[in-house]
Amino acid sequence: MGRLLKLREAHKTDVPATCSVLWAHDGSHLATSCASDTEVLIHDLSAPPPGRSGSTAGSSPVVLRHHKEGVTAIALGPTAGPLASGSFDHSVKLYNFPVGSFQGNVTRFTLPIKSLAFNKSGSLLAAAGDDDGIKLISTIDLTISRVLKGHRGPVTGLSFDPKHDYLASIDSFGTVIYWELSTGKQLHTLKSIAPNYNSDSSVLNTLSWRPDGEMLAVPGLRNDVVMYDRDTGEKLFNLRGDHEKSVCSFCWSPNGKYLATSGLDKQVLIWDVDLKQDIERQKFEERICGLSWKPVGNSLAVIDVVGRFGIWDNPVPVSMKSPTEGVVLNEPHPLFEDEDEEEVLGKGISCYSGSLDDSIEKGSGDFSPISRKRVKKRGPSFDEGEEVLQEIDSRKRRKESENKRGDGEIRERAVRMQDAFQVGFTPPQQGKRRFLCYNLLGCVTSLENDGFSHVEVDFHDTGRGPRVPSMTDYFGFTMAALNEKGCVLANPCKGEKNMSTLMYRPFGSWANNSEWSMRFELEEVKVVALGKNWVAAVTSHNFLRIFTESGLQMHILSVNGPVVAAAGSGDLLAVVTHASDCLSSGDQVLEIKVFNINEATQTISGRLPLTPCSHLTWLGFSEDGRLGSFDSKGNLRVYSDQFGGSWLPVFSADKARKSEDENYWIVGFNATKFFCIVCKSPESYPSVMPKPVLTILEFSSPLASSDLGADEVENEFMMTNLQLSEIRKKIKDMEAFGLDVTALDDEAFSLEVKLDRCILKLIASCCHSDRLVRATELARLLSTQKSLKGAITIVTASKLPILQEKFSTILEERMLDDLKTPEPIPTGRSNGKTAYSVQPPVRLSPMMEKSPDLNNRTPNTIKPQIKSSPATETLKLVKARYSTPENLAQGEDISKERELGSKLEKLATFVKGKGNATSEVTGKDVSSSATGNVKPELKIPINPFARVKKAT
Amino acid sequence: MAGQTDHSLSIFSAAEVEFIAEDEMIEIVPNIRMDALNLLCGDFGPFVPQIPCTVPLWLAVALKKRGKCSIRTPDWMSVEKLTQVLEAERESPREFQPLPFHYVEISRLLLDHAHDDIPEVYMVRSLIEDIRNVRFHKVESGLETISGRTHAVKLKNLSAMEVNLVRPFMARVLQAFYKHDSPEMVQQADTSASKRPQVVDRGPRRDLRPR
Repeated sequence: MGRLLKLREAHKTDVPATCSVLWAHDGSHLATSCASDTEVLIHDLSAPPPGRSGSTAGSSPVVLRHHKEGVTAIALGPTAGPLASGSFDHSVKLYNFPVGSFQGNVTRFTLPIKSLAFNKSGSLLAAAGDDDGIKLISTIDLTISRVLKGHRGPVTGLSFDPKHDYLASIDSFGTVIYWELSTGKQLHTLKSIAPNYNSDSSVLNTLSWRPDGEMLAVPGLRNDVVMYDRDTGEKLFNLRGDHEKSVCSFCWSPNGKYLATSGLDKQVLIWDVDLKQDIERQKFEERICGLSWKPVGNSLAVIDVVGRFGIWDNPVPVSMKSPTEGVVLNEPHPLFEDEDEEEVLGKGISCYSGSLDDSIEKGSGDFSPISRKRVKKRGPSFDEGEEVLQEIDSRKRRKESENKRGDGEIRERAVRMQDAFQVGFTPPQQGKRRFLCYNLLGCVTSLENDGFSHVEVDFHDTGRGPRVPSMTDYFGFTMAALNEKGCVLANPCKGEKNMSTLMYRPFGSWANNSEWSMRFELEEVKVVALGKNWVAAVTSHNFLRIFTESGLQMHILSVNGPVVAAAGSGDLLAVVTHASDCLSSGDQVLEIKVFNINEATQTISGRLPLTPCSHLTWLGFSEDGRLGSFDSKGNLRVYSDQFGGSWLPVFSADKARKSEDENYWIVGFNATKFFCIVCKSPESYPSVMPKPVLTILEFSSPLASSDLGADEVENEFMMTNLQLSEIRKKIKDMEAFGLDVTALDDEAFSLEVKLDRCILKLIASCCHSDRLVRATELARLLSTQKSLKGAITIVTASKLPILQEKFSTILEERMLDDLKTPEPIPTGRSNGKTAYSVQPPVRLSPMMEKSPDLNNRTPNTIKPQIKSSPATETLKLVKARYSTPENLAQGEDISKERELGSKLEKLATFVKGKGNATSEVTGKDVSSSATGNVKPELKIPINPFARVKKAT
Repeated sequence: MAGQTDHSLSIFSAAEVEFIAEDEMIEIVPNIRMDALNLLCGDFGPFVPQIPCTVPLWLAVALKKRGKCSIRTPDWMSVEKLTQVLEAERESPREFQPLPFHYVEISRLLLDHAHDDIPEVYMVRSLIEDIRNVRFHKVESGLETISGRTHAVKLKNLSAMEVNLVRPFMARVLQAFYKHDSPEMVQQADTSASKRPQVVDRGPRRDLRPR
């Protein structure tokens, strides 16, 4: 919809003010008002279109000048009039419509009026504003029939339930109250469900019943519109999509199938409510504050905050169902056949539910005399039985419509592939500085100013990071990547003159003028990434271009599809591309490849999993080189080598969110937690000023709720296991390079201890909930004998002799195994090390005292048992056969050095033959437990020494 | 301003109270990377840029002075909260709103050293001043109600600075009352009956004033 809707001026206002627009029920007239104008205008649309409202004589609108101050709200009765207007001058006035003759003052308030609404039959007018209390005024004799008090702030929106049971109201704090009209009681009070505009009087919260009265639309906190159930006030679903800021006003189409919403981001979106999908949009120069569907035909009247209104023809694409289809009209219109009525939500509903909406904003209603009678009949003489029936009926209908919605989603969901995005960027905002790149190291910000921008590079660590002078950017950079050594900037192509440019700025270089730039003709840089001594850019031609730090063009690769994102760290570059069009379910098909630039290899290749119907919002490496992705539904996944390389979900925002209005904008992660900026809705990204502060959140697995009731412990168990496997893998990798792994061993050991503690807790809760088999299984997972004894203590305390027996058997088995595997010290580095040093021999059980060094070795021998399933047990045996006696000599040395006594030496020599074999196995098993690979082991007997010495 | 003006009476000087208050914990956002500090009073850090951590106020101020961190304004120091507190203080003449025990000192230190980290500094400054005035006024008016019958004054939520200013005075007043009320009493059991005749005995109170 490239065409921009032309708006014409109706009200003159210097400052943005809330304006409203209403259609007459037959679509022939349009009423407009403006909060900074005292006039209400009635435009006759049946006359030839006026050049400019108010100026051309022929079709000048009817001007109603009865208010002394700005008109804040207008509402239109169901039949040919009346028109009500409320104003800052505290009065509500009634007029004949469309003639415009003044009928009289309805009521006066002590404070400005903010909102008006007629009920379906036109017999009641609700008015509210800054006063406490909503007045319900009978339009027949203009008496106040009821005052509803309950809101704590200015009431800004009112809507009568089309079935005349309820009135819904919303205040500027975002609180919604359902009132029962017959009693005047508050049925439901939904606090703070809509944005709080208390400090900002220029935006008024609104709400609106669907024309069939089955649901109430309320602006949500997350740039969405939320639907609430008619009877229970429960949240049904929300319409969330491309509004970048809060929705400030909306309007149901007459048949309730479509919803037009306008946001503070100056967009108007048309939604297909059944599909929960936006189908059309238009951007305006100013914020649209009033919307109204034409009761007949496919048109939408809009009015913006500066008092200009326009009519948007065919907001719903002609190919789709008309927004008025299925509405029961009093005069049959050739345009609308009733054949589809069954399919539309009006199924089984009589005229009053299938007819028009009468929200405050629109107030446009088209009522047949019959329907009015119906409504009246439904008044006080409404019998209970019928109500129950009605309820059942409505539930049934809801179910039906839900089913239909489900079908529709699959059938005709408008799917969209996400555009390329730069990791850590925020969208541009007028006159505000924005992030081109934000990571754990620093940020690149840009502020546009008269055609060129100022780009600044800041490091979070002001003590260490280089100070980078800000630069003036004539290219209009929109992408950036930053690391310690430099930053890369790129701009998209903007016409012929302004071609796409890539610029690299090193922060510290021995040569002058070492910054360089590349231009791309007929090609556009989509994303950039930065690593150790290389710069990468993926372009619109699906080229992955790799440059060296000095600007040498090193490699050009073709990637598989349109790029989505890229991230670099060290030697690794991850590139995410689209693999195909979206699936019909709305899921995107993304592919990820990780390249090692220095070695020119590809380390990971595969699909990138996403939560259904979400898009990728972040991609990056942790400090230790693990890859992670974050999607728009708030799920963080980390790549792991487990199961041949898979993505493990480690965090879900839905579970972790403390309040509805928190959005997590992720920045980075490490082994156990991730760093994010918590943004309060409606913002989904941080602003540059004030400086955002990182929040650390722990990983949490999306565990099923189990019968143990120890979710936290279970989560800890999962996470520690994951961490442990990562560390083991790393130890293995480092050993392969012959590096010192002492530190990692320490870490692994403390993790094992942590895991044991966690398992003990789980055993305790298993005992509580009588899960004895699970407890036994957990006991087998314990890595040290000390913990196993702890487990026995636990079961003894919980008086479970069976378990006690079982555990004792496990312990015995372990001890026997220990006796069989006497020489595991050199290889089993990562195992129990300090356990024995901490644990003095005095505390040994009589059984263990038989061999003093048994105690030393226990952890090693336990290890294979812990981590191995029966399958790996057998594998172990197989491996044992093939292993070579490599570490024998070392083992001997160690045992001597330890000076554990002749007994040990004797034992060592005794088991020399088979002992080395077994020890080999244990070591191997430990390291390969993470991946399952059997690779030649490296034996570097570093830590056992060190630790033993330290300890003794 | 009986208690407030008479600093010689206070056990601690304002500076000393401030010194004590510097042990309160506060959240800072460092902009440097630094290992954890292992101090006598505890371990603080490690400090990672942009990641908030909690440190004693003195450390926060020291870091702030060197431009190594920004201090996060505590919750109660937001304009919104302070406005609420001020309103509540004004509405309830008998009781004090719960504020941190060292709110006067903390706010003073933050306003002096970290004014650039506080959103709407001027507003916050004036609100805190107002709150302080209102509360001191309440303390004073509370003092006026002390009479011979009083043998204890219950002041909930009084802050360090406030209590420091009135404590010596209050203690002496009560002591004096006690002494003059019941010279013959050995036990502290003080019945209203024994007090009654003494209420008339207002003479000695005059002597207290000049102190």
